[in-house]
Amino acid sequence: MPTTATERPSHAQPRVEMADIRKRYGVLDVLRGVNLRVAPGEVIGLVGDNGAGKSTLMKMLAGAVTPDSGKILVDGVELTGAGPREARAHGIEMVYQDLALCNDLDVAANLFLGREIHHRWTRRLDHKRMHAEAAQDLSTLHIRISDTYQEVGNLSGGQRQAVAIARAVTFDPKVLVLDEPTAALAAKEVEMVLQLIRDVSARGVSVVLITHRLQDLFEVCDRFVVLYEGVLHRELQPSETDLSELVTAMMGK
Amino acid sequence: MTTSTTAPAPAASRNRSTGALSAFVGKHFGVISISVVLIVLFAFFSVQTENFLSADNLVNVARQVAPTVIVAMAMTFVITTGQIDLSVGSVVGLSAAALGLWAATGNPVLALLLTVALGLVIGLVNGALAAYGLLQSFIVTLAALTAVRGIALLVTGGYSEPIDSTLIRPLAHGKLLGLYTPTWIAIAFVLLAWYVFSQTKFGRYVTAVGSNAESLRRSGVDIRRIQMAVLGLAGGAAAVAGILTAARLSSGSPNSGTMFELEVITAVVLGGTSLMGGRGSVIGSAIGAVTLGVISNGLVQLRVDVYWVPIVQGLILVVAILLNTKLFSRIARTRK
Ligand SMILES: Nc1ncnc2c1ncn2[C@@H]1O[C@H](COP(=O)(O)OP(=O)(O)OP(=O)(O)O)[C@@H](O)[C@H]1O
Ligand SMILES: [Mg+2]
Repeated sequence: MPTTATERPSHAQPRVEMADIRKRYGVLDVLRGVNLRVAPGEVIGLVGDNGAGKSTLMKMLAGAVTPDSGKILVDGVELTGAGPREARAHGIEMVYQDLALCNDLDVAANLFLGREIHHRWTRRLDHKRMHAEAAQDLSTLHIRISDTYQEVGNLSGGQRQAVAIARAVTFDPKVLVLDEPTAALAAKEVEMVLQLIRDVSARGVSVVLITHRLQDLFEVCDRFVVLYEGVLHRELQPSETDLSELVTAMMGK
Repeated sequence: MTTSTTAPAPAASRNRSTGALSAFVGKHFGVISISVVLIVLFAFFSVQTENFLSADNLVNVARQVAPTVIVAMAMTFVITTGQIDLSVGSVVGLSAAALGLWAATGNPVLALLLTVALGLVIGLVNGALAAYGLLQSFIVTLAALTAVRGIALLVTGGYSEPIDSTLIRPLAHGKLLGLYTPTWIAIAFVLLAWYVFSQTKFGRYVTAVGSNAESLRRSGVDIRRIQMAVLGLAGGAAAVAGILTAARLSSGSPNSGTMFELEVITAVVLGGTSLMGGRGSVIGSAIGAVTLGVISNGLVQLRVDVYWVPIVQGLILVVAILLNTKLFSRIARTRK
């Protein structure tokens, strides 16, 4: 299936380049050679049917899933496939569709999971500082969680989603992947997330947004990428597309 | 901190103090309920028996429970990761036997070091099979339970090895400030375990592995190393318990530690650690181990038939868990 290449000539070096990505699960050919480029500061809307492979593709970028074949480059440097730690080190942060929070840990512990602050000699975690910074980060993002000592399992679905978003945004990512970040959010919170996307992209952060709320995509995206049956089916410009054309593209037409 | 909007969020101060209290109870309800059980038992035996509250007896209890406390510390880490170690009793037996054999060669210090190393290695082999071999820790350590006991019997021919080293004996019989050495060693283990469990990255990852391993993996942490390490620790702790047991009897018996794994697991569960992983308390486990020791000592003081001991311990386990899950968890609005 052909893809309409709408490369931006102004960016010689893409922030992210995924080339010929393939993945099989048993007999299921989930991704059959996907190519994707994201420019610095660009906001991409990644759409497709349920099961099209959107989450799988982005988990590969975040290091959580290893592709069977294909290359992933960030700022021209190829990832070796060493997993999430490597992807994080290259500035890739992802909000997962299933959130991936530890319900038994408190809000601050979840925000700092994997990059806890501790004293060099005693190895003691700096609980105070992490809670203070967590509270600061949440309030900067206008996330209303009164107490960073609360266990995440006791939060509401929307609050949990907010924590997952805060975790991805807080540590200065270069690429922010949001997989259905607004599924559990109220209208006002959705608007906050969209504003957040505009803010970070204005600072040069590349964003990949996956959502089934197609109207949101038109508000923030520079480009739509349509996955269909494991290949990149079409790329569309929001200015030249309307909702029905996007829906048609998602159905493989 | 990295977004451009910096206006302060509206402060949501929904009854913060009751929230903090129920969060505290929620976090510690395991420790609270086992403490209540221990206090009740303590009071009961103090009133009902002449001897229980005597200093001599309490010092004795503190010595007797030491091996259970020590291994319960490591077992808390294991269970909090969502794993289990059934082999610690057999490792106690092999360690005791090995210490007897190695001490006989005339270098007790080397014998002690080798014994601890042996326990660590067995634990790490368990851990490697569970974490990297992707076998369930239950299966791996069940196999080790039989195999390691078999090795202990094989190398000793089933006989105890006498230990007459003047260096090893004080490990069980030495006294400092009124308490026996094993008690001090157990206290050191509890303090160290508390620090590592609640104050370090490693301890946090132990909880996170049991809570949501995939979440931790996606955060860039090598979860298999954590899973392997905790089983290694359990092997090492079991070796220390084996050494203390052998030192107390002045002989290394390959039959030491039979059913010990069940006592340790009971102590940990009594202390409020969840067998599902993600929730653990080393202090709870220590109190749980002491509770089991108090029950067996108190019943002996009561002069009831010694066969009552396991029966009462089983009943107390049920009572403590009921308290834990039905009563305190309701106070603390938790979902488990
Ligand atoms: N770990 C796995 N094992 C087996 N199959 C998998 C696995 N992960 C994903 N799949 C399959 O790959 C396909 C693509 O899944 P993916 O989650 O990427 O879809 P998606 O586009 O994100 O869909 P949705 O819009 O529903 O989130 C699905 O058919 C799914 O069943
Ligand atoms: Mg998905």
